[in-house]
Amino acid sequence: MCRKNRSSDDDTIVAIITPPGEGGIAAVRLAGRHSRYYLKKFFVHTRESVPLKPFVMHYGSFVSAAGETIDEITAVYMPKGKSYTGLEQVEVFCHGGRQIVRLILQELVNAGARPAEPGEFTRLAFLNGNIDLAKAEAVAEIIAADTEHSYQASREHLLGAYSRHIEQLREDLVNVAAEVEAGIDFGEEEIELAPGIKLKQMIDHLIDRVKELADSYRGGRIIREGFKVVIGGRANAGKSSLFNLLLRQERALVNPFPGTTRDYLSEWIDLEGFAVNLIDTAGLRTGGGTVEKAGRAHAHRLIRDSDLLVWMIDLSRKNYRVNLQKDLPALPKCPILLVGNKIDLLLKNRKQFKINIEGVMPLSCTTGRGIGLLKKELVRRIEANMPDITSGLVVTSLRHKQKLHMALRNLKQARTKVAYSESLELAAFDLRQAISALDEITGRIYTEEVLGKIFSRFCVGK
Amino acid sequence: MMEQAAKTYKANRPRLNLSDYDIIVVGGGHAGVEAALAVVRMGRSAAIVTMDAGKLALMSCNPAIGGIGKSQLVKEIDALGGLMAQAIDATGIQFRRLNLSRGPAVWSTRAQADRIAYTDYIAEFCSRQKNLDVIEALGGEILTENDRVAGIRTEKGKIISSRAVVVATGTFLGGLIHIGAKKTKAGRMGEPAAYKLSDSLRSLGFELGRLKTGTPPRLNGETIDWSRCEVQLGEVPIPFFSHSSPGREFDQTPCHLTCTSSRTKEIISENFHRSPIFSGQIKSTGPRYCPSIEDKFYRFADKPRHQIFLEPEGNGTNEIYPNGFATGLPEEVQKAAIRTVIGLEEVELTKLGYAIEYDYCPAYQVGPSLETRRLRGLFFAGQINGTSGYEEAGAQGLMAGINAVLYINKEEPFVLDRSEAYTGVMIDDLVTRSTTEPYRMFTSRAEYRLALREDNARDRLFGHAVRLGLINKESFDRFYRLQAETQKEIALLDETRVRISDLQEIKHRFKKRGTITLADLLKQPGIGVREILPLLAAHNGRFSNDREILERAAIRIRYQGYIDKQEREIEKFRKSEAESVPDSFDYRSLTGLKREAKEKFTRFRPRSLGQAGRIEGVTPGDVAVLSVHLRKYKALRS
Repeated sequence: MCRKNRSSDDDTIVAIITPPGEGGIAAVRLAGRHSRYYLKKFFVHTRESVPLKPFVMHYGSFVSAAGETIDEITAVYMPKGKSYTGLEQVEVFCHGGRQIVRLILQELVNAGARPAEPGEFTRLAFLNGNIDLAKAEAVAEIIAADTEHSYQASREHLLGAYSRHIEQLREDLVNVAAEVEAGIDFGEEEIELAPGIKLKQMIDHLIDRVKELADSYRGGRIIREGFKVVIGGRANAGKSSLFNLLLRQERALVNPFPGTTRDYLSEWIDLEGFAVNLIDTAGLRTGGGTVEKAGRAHAHRLIRDSDLLVWMIDLSRKNYRVNLQKDLPALPKCPILLVGNKIDLLLKNRKQFKINIEGVMPLSCTTGRGIGLLKKELVRRIEANMPDITSGLVVTSLRHKQKLHMALRNLKQARTKVAYSESLELAAFDLRQAISALDEITGRIYTEEVLGKIFSRFCVGK
Repeated sequence: MMEQAAKTYKANRPRLNLSDYDIIVVGGGHAGVEAALAVVRMGRSAAIVTMDAGKLALMSCNPAIGGIGKSQLVKEIDALGGLMAQAIDATGIQFRRLNLSRGPAVWSTRAQADRIAYTDYIAEFCSRQKNLDVIEALGGEILTENDRVAGIRTEKGKIISSRAVVVATGTFLGGLIHIGAKKTKAGRMGEPAAYKLSDSLRSLGFELGRLKTGTPPRLNGETIDWSRCEVQLGEVPIPFFSHSSPGREFDQTPCHLTCTSSRTKEIISENFHRSPIFSGQIKSTGPRYCPSIEDKFYRFADKPRHQIFLEPEGNGTNEIYPNGFATGLPEEVQKAAIRTVIGLEEVELTKLGYAIEYDYCPAYQVGPSLETRRLRGLFFAGQINGTSGYEEAGAQGLMAGINAVLYINKEEPFVLDRSEAYTGVMIDDLVTRSTTEPYRMFTSRAEYRLALREDNARDRLFGHAVRLGLINKESFDRFYRLQAETQKEIALLDETRVRISDLQEIKHRFKKRGTITLADLLKQPGIGVREILPLLAAHNGRFSNDREILERAAIRIRYQGYIDKQEREIEKFRKSEAESVPDSFDYRSLTGLKREAKEKFTRFRPRSLGQAGRIEGVTPGDVAVLSVHLRKYKALRS
């Protein structure tokens, strides 16, 4: 592991496992061989002489070393081998509120328990063989999951459908490799080998499947990072107005990438269960005319990476049609939703209110008119792009996507070689590389670097 | 059979200590001979204890050396100063390379041997070694003193003392021959097996298991209708094995190919129940890659016929080895069945085929140096470790011999890793996995296969060989020149361009016109030295005339990109191999480790963290836990 590693089997680690802030209940978890000892040290049972039974909620109070009762708590004890971490484990539930839970943690640490490192509980679960690597990553995702959909995808990972799918791919890959290997080690014997053309087909099929999975990363990314909507348009078209309107109306989500400074505004909202990442390009000139080149290049990059471009049109301007004809061809390829803003101004003069461009959604950011329809349309677009998460076969991690692409490259290389018998050993080489790439997803091949990376992404106590 | 009287060669060497010999090798087969020769090469005295001094390195089964995956081992034995390659070069009657239709990394030389000439050559070579005696006796008991090996007692009770012992007993250890329901205690047909030695090992605390193998009947060549068989000829120029082979001119003896008929299948199927394998008489497992003929018909019931190779046992004999017809069926079934094979209708048997069961010591009981963990100074090599094959045995014998000397010298053991040699792959496999069938080398066992080739055995191993004193300076200098010339040739091929329009049959492969370097041309599938020779002729005198140098250059060019790609993996692999685990590490006390993992680690005692990860059934998590404990352990120590 890349971090200084103080973990050892004698340690009992402790951390608050509920999110910071106010809440009904807060929880503290202890894991390690002395977990029960620590609990007994501070726990006073309401009814004396009740033995600590596994998986039974015990009610009592947490009494500090100084003899003060800190809170009424419930506590549960899980024996070694039967807990999440695989170690002896205790969970203490106290009343919510920062102070109480921090006092409890402090008492336990003072008594000798070691504060857990980020991701340590899950690392223990992995090390003790309770979960595989893909599941460990899924735990991180579930914890980070903000919306219902991202929760669902992570849960599917956790349940192992994803791991099973990768294992199945791996097995099929191993089967092709076995054919190739047999052609090398037993080529002189009278065995019926799949001919080159058949092997090619088998590899083609694998390429399709790996590609499909790798491509699901886009959907996976939408689940993780939200559906990325870039709001663009000419100056004064009402980009920031729409941005702020949506932010006001919908539940804001926590920025999953804190600490990044940007020269554009970016916020996350929950739109009917979907995380949507709204990007306001107001600071960046996106329209034609007198734009600075750097700003436009930047805006175009944002648009290219987006899932949807909402292009704002100022209907109050007479030449909006001409402008639109100029602007649209210059934009990077991307799904576009045209929004005609400022209908409130037009409504004052009913004759002018005719939008002759198909598919433009009328809107007034000032009055809010049309926003409901716009949101519906956004949801429709998101749904159309959403991968089928119930199958669990969505790649949500960049690391996995990279490994799948690596496997894909190797498979493509193997594909051209299996046809030539004199290149079989090279095809075998490529196939092995592809297998190792898949193995790195499920953690069958263990590398310190991979583990270090995965576990460093966890927050304390999760 | 050889007309050699039983002899004891007496060496006149100074007695350095009270032992009779520095090292005793029990068994004079392919492993035993290489072990003993390595010992004397390194300046120590050795005795081979064998039942029949006239049968050193006798080929008990197939009269051939090499083959796919095995030839690489032979070349490695050769690069480490062993004798096998030279012996077959001097006595082989047909040589060819298998897999020539594949890439050069898996080209594999195979030679038919004159088995009597081969064993004579070995015996003569051994008799010329000053520090080597061949003692005719049956090893009976391993003697110990202060928890170390002290010598052996023969079955007849004679004590021979030594400071290390290599046990290389092959199928003789508890050997039991089956022909139908008939069982005979023997190590080879007509030769007594070593039963007392098994008892001795057991009483020393070793766990013994049983393995099974088999051999076909031998045929009288004069009674075969050769006209009905397909001829297989040797390769010209003759592909010899050894780098130091003087080469020789001779007419190669042809082999023949035939196959079974529908009647063969009927006879064998009717008699399944009489085979000791199916009757329950033999419980141990045989090799899946080398099944008996009854096994083939049983397991692949759909297949109507099987190929049989008819291989001569030598030039001075008419005896024929029907490769592919190993059997443990009763005599009359063997006779009837073989006479249904095409061309063998009138054949007469000179010897019966048989199945043989023998004792082996599951190899978790030895370390990577092949020294047993239980008893210092005791080494195992060959079939006792669960392998099969002369080449596998020879390579282990060599390593055991070298390590026995290093043990006496109190030096670090010599261990080859998986990225260096097939030998390293084999021994690592043996010590990290349970044996379920006799272990045979395949190229697919080597993850760094493209880097472990016949042509670069010396590049990989000569450094070790020089350090250990296994080869002479002359060999090394010759190789050094070869290496330099190879480099020069690679540079030439890299800079010489040819016009694509000048390439006859293959120009259609290129979309572009213009020129291409010879090196790039050699990276094309199906393009090798033979294909570019006409192009080289145009540059008269610039390129080497030496075919070996050209081949070496062409192969290196072909694989360079792949090997560079693999370098990083090898780097990583070496790093985890370097994380050593002390042999005395107490796994039972480790917390956080599953009981199953504890048992595996305790059983296989990995030498390094990398090796721990390769132990069957061990999960990445187990290794991670071990690594944490290891770090703590090391921190405490330092």
